[in-house]
Amino acid sequence: MGLKMLPNIKDKFMNYSFSLLLACLTIIAISKFNNFMDNYELIILIGSAITFTWMGNVWSNFRKLFLYTFLLSFISIYFYKGTLEGIELNFILKYFLSSQSAIMWMTALYPLSLVTYWVYLFSKQDFYGNLATKITWIATMMGFVGLLVRWYESYLIGIDVGHIPVSNLYEVFVLFCLITSLLYLHYEEKLEIKKMGAFVLIIITAAVAFILWYTFEKGANEIQPLVPALQSYWMKIHVPANFIGYGAFAMAAMISVAYLLKDKGIIGSYLPELNVLDEMTYKAISIGFIFFTIATILGAVWAAEAWGGYWSWDPKETWALIVWLNYAAWLHLRLIKGLRGTVLAWWSLGGLVITTFAFLGVNLFLSGLHSYGEL
Amino acid sequence: MRFAIAMFSFLAIASIIGTVLKQNEPYNNYIIKFGQFWFEIFEKLGMYNVYQAFWFLLILVFLIISTSLCISRNTPKILKDYKSFQDRVREKSLLSFKHSYQFPLKNFSVKKTISFLKSHNYKVKHKVIEGNGDLIVAKKGDLQKFGYIFTHLAIVIISIGGLLDGNLVFKVQELIGTKQIQMEDQPLSKIPLKGRMSEDNLSYRASILLSEGDTKTAAILRAKEGYLVQEIPFSITLKNFNIKHYSTGQPKSFESELLVTDKKTGETINKTISVNKPLTYKGVTIYQAAFEDGGSQLDLLVWDLNSSQPSFKMNSEIFKNNKLTFENQNLTLEFKDFRKFNILEVGQNEEKKPKPTNVGPNFLYKVRNESGQAKEYQTYQLPMLVDGKYFFMSGMRNSPQEEFKYLKIPADDNLSIEGFMVLKSLLNNPQKVQNAINKGINTSAFTTAGKKEAFKLGAKNIINAFVGGGYNSVVDEMDLNIPDQASIADKEKAIKTYINIIYLVSQELVRGYQVKNNDDIVFPINDAPRFIQDALTAYSDSFFYGVPLYLELKEFKEVQASGLQLTKSPGQFWVYLGSILLVLGIFCMIYIQEIRLWIFRKKGSNRLIVSLATNRDRMDFDQYAIEFKDKIKKIT
Ligand code: HEM
Repeated sequence: MGLKMLPNIKDKFMNYSFSLLLACLTIIAISKFNNFMDNYELIILIGSAITFTWMGNVWSNFRKLFLYTFLLSFISIYFYKGTLEGIELNFILKYFLSSQSAIMWMTALYPLSLVTYWVYLFSKQDFYGNLATKITWIATMMGFVGLLVRWYESYLIGIDVGHIPVSNLYEVFVLFCLITSLLYLHYEEKLEIKKMGAFVLIIITAAVAFILWYTFEKGANEIQPLVPALQSYWMKIHVPANFIGYGAFAMAAMISVAYLLKDKGIIGSYLPELNVLDEMTYKAISIGFIFFTIATILGAVWAAEAWGGYWSWDPKETWALIVWLNYAAWLHLRLIKGLRGTVLAWWSLGGLVITTFAFLGVNLFLSGLHSYGEL
Repeated sequence: MRFAIAMFSFLAIASIIGTVLKQNEPYNNYIIKFGQFWFEIFEKLGMYNVYQAFWFLLILVFLIISTSLCISRNTPKILKDYKSFQDRVREKSLLSFKHSYQFPLKNFSVKKTISFLKSHNYKVKHKVIEGNGDLIVAKKGDLQKFGYIFTHLAIVIISIGGLLDGNLVFKVQELIGTKQIQMEDQPLSKIPLKGRMSEDNLSYRASILLSEGDTKTAAILRAKEGYLVQEIPFSITLKNFNIKHYSTGQPKSFESELLVTDKKTGETINKTISVNKPLTYKGVTIYQAAFEDGGSQLDLLVWDLNSSQPSFKMNSEIFKNNKLTFENQNLTLEFKDFRKFNILEVGQNEEKKPKPTNVGPNFLYKVRNESGQAKEYQTYQLPMLVDGKYFFMSGMRNSPQEEFKYLKIPADDNLSIEGFMVLKSLLNNPQKVQNAINKGINTSAFTTAGKKEAFKLGAKNIINAFVGGGYNSVVDEMDLNIPDQASIADKEKAIKTYINIIYLVSQELVRGYQVKNNDDIVFPINDAPRFIQDALTAYSDSFFYGVPLYLELKEFKEVQASGLQLTKSPGQFWVYLGSILLVLGIFCMIYIQEIRLWIFRKKGSNRLIVSLATNRDRMDFDQYAIEFKDKIKKIT
């Protein structure tokens, strides 16, 4: 809602160029790699191109992110020169743009932006706020570069090994960081709630800590070929959709933390108004809910193809249902009963516990048909 | 509403139980876990397959009924609301709205205002109130209300779809006694009608296990501890089962080449299915679900680890038993499984991290003695690299709950087990041992004949003890030989000496063997000491191996079996339909904002009242209301 701002001429020009660029890239990709794609993959490619074009048009910072990410990824791929040995030989790859280095940069920058956001929160100086936002953008960009290059790397290991990097717990944790921060950056811009970075970045930093532990303790960053059950185009849609859901729920929970602090008068003078926080929690949960619903349904469609039934009461499925019921209840309470305030804030915080269990706990404690992400 | 929420909470809790308590395990596992008393109570409650339990399905039914009632109660209201414009408002109530504005008119025109509203996607109604003035009522976003119908209808449709695919038909038939779960293993033809579900069973998820070359005409439905036969409208032949691997060894695909023949028309279909690529035929979808051995043939060499006997040949087949008289015992060898590929995390050496590697075929068998006790063995055909050296690995355990304990037999230079077998035969040959001891003494530093004789005797005893029971037996022997007052340090020294003697004698045996068999070098030349030490350790460990019976796999002919799942799922369509409706509904509810707007001009007045309302209080509506009223102000 709200007034639509008329895009100025420069913006319009940028939008057209961006759309044109993506159209060209898509056409090049199709004409070059058509033989390697089946119809579903073709649809996914075109669908993604349209989605990114649209997002770039309505959100100019996303457009920038997209351009820089692709530029850096292409530079990186150029330096690889088609072999994995490239990483050791090339200085830039070794320290900046190889998949692993880029992701390590991401893991360094998110905690840095967390600190900067807190400095901003207490100093109330815009300089720090803008700096924190910039760092978050760069961290996100490096993360995306890391994943894209990882995708390329997987093909260097073996043509038949290559696959999209959303196939194990390590990769989806990186994805989780990226999606959560993108969602946050979007709301930061639209709702002018820069101070929330101090909270949202907490959960992202926690995920970063997990990634680091998982990398150094378990060597999880190694690229493994896909087990047969995961070889499906559904994975490309189901997993990212799920993580938009998880990311949004996590963000909602962190804003609820801010809400509860403000409500109790702790650092209240530094935080936005209660109704702003409440509204933002609602927005995050509703966008999370819709994506999570779609993801769960897609999961069922995939399961019907891979396991022989759309619903097998596999622990992961069942916990997805529980997460879904939890947020459906939240939305009912808010929309129908008109409930606001601390109860819902606590509820959304509790939702994070359930979500985390569905996301991680199930893999840790329960066994089932889901084949990725054993610790 | 309360009832529906209670049902939902129930559903959630029951679902959680189902994820925490492992479902559909053999009942014995539950008895071990809970004890007989609780086991029976939990069984009555259907805890071992919660999602098929009677009460679980009942909750679903209640959910359907209560949600349907809710829809039928609310829908007329919503439809009425959808049609109405709420044009019977009073001026006073308009003014009491949160967003109610008044401003002076400049050039107000009803027509222009209406077209302005329409251009902003409002539906508009104009009403002239006799003697009172103009009322323009506008609204948009009333699809939001339909969101309610969509989502709740979706819940009903999905639940009905789910029930359709539950095994309700069988549940009812079991209740009235026309069907009964079968407990015993019997051939298909012997199973009574009570144990068979007919071809037109509404829905099922059944399985078939097919060896390569086999044909089956019915499937198996697992039910609690037993099973039922599910008739199918076609027969399935497995022509070939194929596992493809990545270059790293991990499995890449499981593929079954099927021949499906319609029982009625004889029509046939050839199709290769794999994971994620099923075949649907006659309303039944056939999935690649599992694989196992289908009766592979193994050519084995049987070795006695503790004698100088030569080996002999034996042929066996997985799922078959072999009888064998071994060291005066009547043993039954039960062959359980064969796997051609095994991916293990094997370390190259200490520094490098373990990497998943294909370590080649292994087979699983049990050795049962006359009294019926069995030990389980798992033997790998090829030697594995452990800490930079190659070993033949064979695991033994007393029960399936235990981990395998591995016997590590060092491979010789040809990566064969031959070298070890030669050494154990030499050790078990008293004449050769005697010669080796003699030779050793002649080259030794003993000077007096007496000392030489004493050493000869001692060494012979030690070797005998070792050959008869490994290092442990040497230690036992030693306790007899060394006077009690000897200190621990002395004992340790003695043990070291004895171990050294065993080693030196073995070395002499090996040397003697190599001299005789000039061109048949079976021992590593460079690293004989290490080989001999490892071999002696393996020999000593073989006394913990249950039976000193080692099966060496020479050749095999793999026969595989493919596990197929057959699903008939008429509810799937409804579940998908419901899902689409659900997404649509949620979208309507969350992202469409219902807005109503009134513009009222009192007759003769030069003021305009503009009021906006929404059914859900939201912050961005406040902003919208303020901005939109300004726009109206501009054009009037
Ligand atoms: C998918 C997300 C869902 C959303 C967004 C949603 C939304 C709503 C809304 C807006 C209403 C109020 C309708 C009105 O009076 O205008 C409502 C009522 C209700 N919902 Fe849901 N609902 C959802 C799922 C469910 C589910 C899964 C159930 C379980 C049965 C359920 C049961 C009910 C009941 C019983 C009512 C009260 C109806 C009455 O007035 O008696 N809802 N829901």
